[in-house]
Amino acid sequence: MRNLTYGIAAAILSGLTLGGCAQDEETDSRVQVLDARGQLIRLSVDLRGRHPSEEELRFVEDAAELGDERFNAAYEAYADRWLGEGAFVDRMVEVFDQRFLMQTGEVYFDPGEVGLDIDDRVMAEMIANEPLQLLRYTIDNDLPYSYMVTADHSMANPEIALYWGMEYPEDGQGGWEPATYVDGRPHAGMLTMTTTWQRYPSMGGNANRHRANAISKMFLCDDYLARPIVLNRAAVDQLTIDPENAIQGNQSCQSCHSTLDPMASNFYGFFNYDAEDGIDQTMYRPENEEEWRDYSGKEPGYYGTPTANIPEFAQALAEDARFTQCAVRTVWEGLTQRTLVDEDWEELAPHRDAFESNNMNVRELVRSIVLSDEYRADKALEPGLQERLAGRKVASPSQLAGIISDVTGYSWFFDGRDGLVDNAEGIAVLAGGTDGQYVTTRSYIPSVGTAFVMERYAQAAAFNVAEYDLDPNREGSAQLLFFVTVEDTPDNNPEAFEEQIRYLFLATTGRPLPEDATEPQELTDLWRYVHSVEASPVVAWSAVLSAVLRDPAVLFY
Amino acid sequence: MNPKFTATRRGFLGGSAALMASAGLWYPKKAFAAAPERKFLFCFAGGGWDTTTILDPHFDTDGVDMDPDTVLGEAGGVRYTSGMDREPVDDFMEKWHRRIAIINGIDPRSVGHDSGTQFMLTGTSASSYADWPTLLAAKSTVEYPLPHVVFSGPSFAGTMGSAVVRAGGGTLLSLLDGSINGMSDQPAPVSSPPIDDIVDDFVYKRVADYASQQQGMARERAEGLLANIERSMELEGRQFEAGLDDLGNSFLDQALKATEMFRLGLSRCAMIRIPGGYDSHGNNTVQAPAQVAYYQALNEVMDHMSKTPGHTTNWLIDEVTIVAMSEFGRTPKLNGGGGKDHWPYNSVFVAGAGVKGDQTLGYTDGSLIAEPVDFKTGMPSSSGDYLACDNVGMAICKIGGLDPSKLLPGVQVFDALLPG
Repeated sequence: MRNLTYGIAAAILSGLTLGGCAQDEETDSRVQVLDARGQLIRLSVDLRGRHPSEEELRFVEDAAELGDERFNAAYEAYADRWLGEGAFVDRMVEVFDQRFLMQTGEVYFDPGEVGLDIDDRVMAEMIANEPLQLLRYTIDNDLPYSYMVTADHSMANPEIALYWGMEYPEDGQGGWEPATYVDGRPHAGMLTMTTTWQRYPSMGGNANRHRANAISKMFLCDDYLARPIVLNRAAVDQLTIDPENAIQGNQSCQSCHSTLDPMASNFYGFFNYDAEDGIDQTMYRPENEEEWRDYSGKEPGYYGTPTANIPEFAQALAEDARFTQCAVRTVWEGLTQRTLVDEDWEELAPHRDAFESNNMNVRELVRSIVLSDEYRADKALEPGLQERLAGRKVASPSQLAGIISDVTGYSWFFDGRDGLVDNAEGIAVLAGGTDGQYVTTRSYIPSVGTAFVMERYAQAAAFNVAEYDLDPNREGSAQLLFFVTVEDTPDNNPEAFEEQIRYLFLATTGRPLPEDATEPQELTDLWRYVHSVEASPVVAWSAVLSAVLRDPAVLFY
Repeated sequence: MNPKFTATRRGFLGGSAALMASAGLWYPKKAFAAAPERKFLFCFAGGGWDTTTILDPHFDTDGVDMDPDTVLGEAGGVRYTSGMDREPVDDFMEKWHRRIAIINGIDPRSVGHDSGTQFMLTGTSASSYADWPTLLAAKSTVEYPLPHVVFSGPSFAGTMGSAVVRAGGGTLLSLLDGSINGMSDQPAPVSSPPIDDIVDDFVYKRVADYASQQQGMARERAEGLLANIERSMELEGRQFEAGLDDLGNSFLDQALKATEMFRLGLSRCAMIRIPGGYDSHGNNTVQAPAQVAYYQALNEVMDHMSKTPGHTTNWLIDEVTIVAMSEFGRTPKLNGGGGKDHWPYNSVFVAGAGVKGDQTLGYTDGSLIAEPVDFKTGMPSSSGDYLACDNVGMAICKIGGLDPSKLLPGVQVFDALLPG
């Protein structure tokens, strides 16, 4: 921490600054930004999934007292530091999977069929990780985002390599490594992964169109199925009799199919034939690549440009301006919790420029967004923007897990898996998260499920902290209860109670209570009541701490 | 006991609300009360049901492949597909036809599973729009602890996520009674109710204070949390009364549980998946058993509701509207594999409170293609309009007392579904 602070201080002295922004005062900006603590908390929760330390918060607060320029330099330096942490990549996986929807819990066929004795939940996570590990690899190695569709390899650990039939590298260490398929398929990142096409299957008359639309949704943010079309009676009649010819001959149909079908034609090597045989569906068949002739009859291509193979298609996709815009939109929506509307394109323009001018580097894109005034906003000053800007964001289930486990040292695990990250228990969805299949968009308005999740998670964490911290025989240092012992009561040590409760709020929310706050007294009263009922300091402090952990400043940031 | 904590929870809520209101801060918008408001049980057959299996029979044409050994069934004004294996459907239609309306020839606007589901349930493809049950729950005039419970099946919360509770897997119940604390790898004891209560009260006050300091969307979100803390407190107090210890696994169990929650005023809407593998590209014979089983179960649900006092009416059946749908229909003709593929005309089954029953509305011709209908009568009319999912959705919302012009402005309401 000391080194980090020195590093940040050096950055300030070197004159790094943001574009003119101010705290707690109106500027010519469209927004009023959060105070120093609020900005750093938001930055840390978004980039690392947890709150900053009190030392970090004090540092930016001190910098703010020296002026906007000092504060901005400190903020920017922290952003750069945290963009380099592993936790940042975890956050980006969460953000991009809101677009990819890969974490569905599906295994597609019994792992036992290929000799794997693995729990289905573990296997499902491995499967989803094939594309998501490529995203990690891309960001970790500062590769352009286009690598997601142009990589000449996939990603595998030994189990997924066996499951999907990949060659795991001989010098692999047992973890996730670049790996290649050996069934004759070309490689083009996510576009040639078995996981991708199991998640987005196609068979029969669908003729790979579902897959083409999945590519459009994931990488162009364009859902063909959302386009309004009107079919006249004659067209519907023709569709009934001879659907393929109707599609080719009708103008309304062609408004989508003229571009959709050539995209679909690139993927006949993946076309499925035996719906009952799970393993058969994972195979790529080079000999079937020309089967588009028997279905749509449309030559493989990408928006009018013929493509000879999937890598050529991928290159054309990556060079499409909409590919860049979609990546920018995905990250911007994920970090701002806003849904892009036409009026927002101007706000996105500098982020798109930063992304493009830095070779589609995801870190640079995020950096551009988190340094903007709109990202750091407390409230909008423009009436139009007020309706679109979220002055407070809602922690995702995994961010909530990160914040509480960082403060308390307690993680809410079930069978070795984090209940707020893995959706097997259904807790993540109840807390407003997604399951990749039935619930595909996050809920930003807390539900009764969120209220219950916060309550029970807080209780479990609080009890474990109190039980450990108040144990006179514990070996390590306390987690949170530094100021009281199991012997203390409000009567024999009122000062310790006051100090302890104030510290709990500071550690949990990142904000000190005001001098005249009534919470210490209220929670001391609560402690007395619980102690009178249960005769247990552990239970009494559990109740106090659980109340603090449910503070709105934990969920909202 | 500290006198500070001797007040009842409701007393606290009332007191704190009054205090905050007097200070110009937040206060609850709605009251917990029994008002005459219709409840809704939504049932969804995911995968795309074959509308000809039960709801849209076509025996006088070569354009539709009907299931073998089936015949036209009629019960009052309700026309359906009957047959040897459909006796439970006959029983159901015969018994309840006066409360039933079948709507055929509905354009779902998409034949993609995901988008078709979204269109049928929201009328649009925009993610910010909530589905019909969420709208009904969120815009109700009465406060419900669990406004819209998703037992299973799809849910589009749009911007109204605070009204939706997903009950999946029984986890909600473990959270409600605290037993989840004992299930984690590092367990903790279940907190006793009096302690829970006073901690809840403290948290409620903190959140209320926080919400009062926010503006715009931030305030909306904070108020969402506040309202749901209140709901969670209400539920904790009523979990045993409501029998929330087990939500059941089968459709029938879940449907009966939903009706119980309606009866107690705990919920306004519920969504339950209709069991069955309806995406029958490879084999269409899977449709009939699944759909027949649904009507068999629904018969029991209707029977139960006809003998159970309602929340605001004499009998629950006079208070609950049942809506069953799928994301689209299936092709009129069998494909080469004995299956049926996706088809852009759909049917919806509606029954119960607020529904003009004994009717078969909408129309598809001998090729299972919709024709224009008069939205007032539901009958085919050359001067009518084509019926789409949003027209039907607005009619359902109107049954629930909502003003369609404020939900999807400009969308014509399919008034034939409602009593004149």
